[in-house]
Amino acid sequence: MMSLVLRGAIRFYQLTLAYFFVGACRYEPSCSAYAVEALSKHGGLRGTWLAAHRLCRCGPWGAGGYDPVPPAAARPRTPLSCHPARRT
Amino acid sequence: MDQKNFIVAIVLSVLIIVGWQVAFPPSKQATQTAQQQASTQSGAPAAPAGQNGTAPGATPGPGSIPAQQPVVSRSEAVALTPRVTFNTPELTGSISLKGARIDDVQLVKYRETIDPKSPPVPVLSPIGSKNPYYAEFGWSASDPAIKVPGADTVWTSDAQTVAPGKPVKLTWDNGQGLVFGLTISIDEFFMFDVKQSIENKTDKPVTLFPWSLIVRYGEPTYEGMYILHEGPYGVFNGTLKEFSYSDFKGNKQQKISTTGGWVGITDKYWMATLIPNQQSKVDVSLKQTGTGADVKYQVDYVGSGVATAPGATTITDAKLFAGAKIVRVISDYESKYGIEKFDLTIDWGWFSFFTRPLFWLLEWLYVHLGNFGLAILTLTVIVKAVFFPLANKSYAAMSKMKRLQPEMEKLKERYGEDRQRMNQELMQLYRREKVNPAAGCLPILVQIPVFFALYKVLYTTIEMRHQPFYGWIKDLSAPDPLTILTGFGLFPWDVPSFLHFFNIGIWPMIMGVTMYLQQKLNPQPTDPVQARVFQFLPILFTFMLAPFAAGLVIYWAWSNILSIAQQYMIMRRHGAPVGNKPVPAALPAAPASTDGKKGGKGSGKKG
Repeated sequence: MMSLVLRGAIRFYQLTLAYFFVGACRYEPSCSAYAVEALSKHGGLRGTWLAAHRLCRCGPWGAGGYDPVPPAAARPRTPLSCHPARRT
Repeated sequence: MDQKNFIVAIVLSVLIIVGWQVAFPPSKQATQTAQQQASTQSGAPAAPAGQNGTAPGATPGPGSIPAQQPVVSRSEAVALTPRVTFNTPELTGSISLKGARIDDVQLVKYRETIDPKSPPVPVLSPIGSKNPYYAEFGWSASDPAIKVPGADTVWTSDAQTVAPGKPVKLTWDNGQGLVFGLTISIDEFFMFDVKQSIENKTDKPVTLFPWSLIVRYGEPTYEGMYILHEGPYGVFNGTLKEFSYSDFKGNKQQKISTTGGWVGITDKYWMATLIPNQQSKVDVSLKQTGTGADVKYQVDYVGSGVATAPGATTITDAKLFAGAKIVRVISDYESKYGIEKFDLTIDWGWFSFFTRPLFWLLEWLYVHLGNFGLAILTLTVIVKAVFFPLANKSYAAMSKMKRLQPEMEKLKERYGEDRQRMNQELMQLYRREKVNPAAGCLPILVQIPVFFALYKVLYTTIEMRHQPFYGWIKDLSAPDPLTILTGFGLFPWDVPSFLHFFNIGIWPMIMGVTMYLQQKLNPQPTDPVQARVFQFLPILFTFMLAPFAAGLVIYWAWSNILSIAQQYMIMRRHGAPVGNKPVPAALPAAPASTDGKKGGKGSGKKG
């Protein structure tokens, strides 16, 4: 339920305000797409956590690149930090 | 397909309008309810606590004022009572000797409309005119036997006029050995200084409570925009409290004790505000009286009792600001008289830490350029210049990415399942093509506060009022007047409000076109629904921004034009396709390396 509401809100953002951020993303998928995927894969709570973590990673100091949502099975406990979850 | 688009557009319009209201949030204070339950003694006069002021005139307030006579014109209403007149560079008007009422103040330099021959803006208006609005200064007595001056008291003055540096003294002898005096001085701007004196010629001490009040008849028409506060407000014990007229519905009232601060009633650009002596404690009350068409709003304060010994004279000090909320004037008064938080008379909003410096910069530019429109354009250039390197980087990355889009798709197809591999390949591609990941959304994000602050400043500050731009814009703080439904000014008529949404001006259209052009430069979003919806957004934003201040629309259009120019240059330099045409798949890595020669201060494509 919570996940659905959040995804609705993100969709609204994607169809309106995201207009101003076209092409600016450092990551693939973009933060909003990442958030939607994370929410549907991991549910409201962990999805929000992952999305926040991702948002936090985006900035001129971050790495950028391909950074997909981790699969549902793997659940490593990571503290909220602005560093990439795992680098290759 | 077309129909589907149309429905999508309509649904989106509704969503955006709702979203807009959220985005430009109510700047309403949350504090107002807290004070609400403080006190609701119905109709209790602002007499000193513990006294019951039954003697006529013992209570400050419209209760003792004769009922509103038939409404006459302002000049006729002024002629009803004997007066002391004033005529300063900023103010014209008079003080009624009946009731010692400051009730006729007009702003010489501010006119009702952009026509300089239109009537001056009234701040205070006399009883008998359409919407009386005035200030009074007086005393309450705890002993009802003491005669204090009232609403019908006719004072004698020692001069016909009052001018800066030439105060006037009004006196009234109560016939019982007390001589009341009001020495009123004015300055070059909007401050009335009132010294209330009591000369005691009796043989026993007398204690009186000096008060000041402002009364406003009727609920004024106000913009009712959440973005700006209008109505009664004040700073009490260091805290700003803003009320709306409706907070006092049903003759409610608020009582607040404070030391320092001020209390008044404000319109968007003008206000009447009482400033008590900042060192002494006063009891403030704000209230509504009367019903229906006779509704009145009153703010007042009562000072603590002043005892005057036999043969002695005591003086208390009060001030009234009646004028335009000019930022510089307000802040001068704040420092000159030490008025606590007088700058808060101007509603800078939640983001005052940003709106104030922005205003300061705009005004500074205005002083040097002579036109607020030019100042806005220059400000835009400054903002763009600050983020120029960052944006350059971003555009460079964007154009390279745009070229690489097909290759990325191919990679995803091939390695999409294998994260590690995909990432490796992608990074390799980036390295090969010398792509820096985009700067991210940060450079765009930082422009949002600028937009909001400019919106707020244009809307709020009187300095922007009636400021012209080139061409047909005569008032940057108002919407573009040459609108589509008036044939761009050819046949002016009163467009009914339900059509306002469609009544867009020329500048909003220019802005829409710049948005459209910019969109053409940007890469298409990969999400097809998003891509389709985005095609409508320039049109939607044209409609949405049409009712906004022309200055804001000009800012946005100009900002877009600058971005387009910058982006276009960068894209050409990087050989990215302009427009949304599909890109030929495989691209040689070479073209990117020739770009160093074209110069420009972009630190763009390094590294």
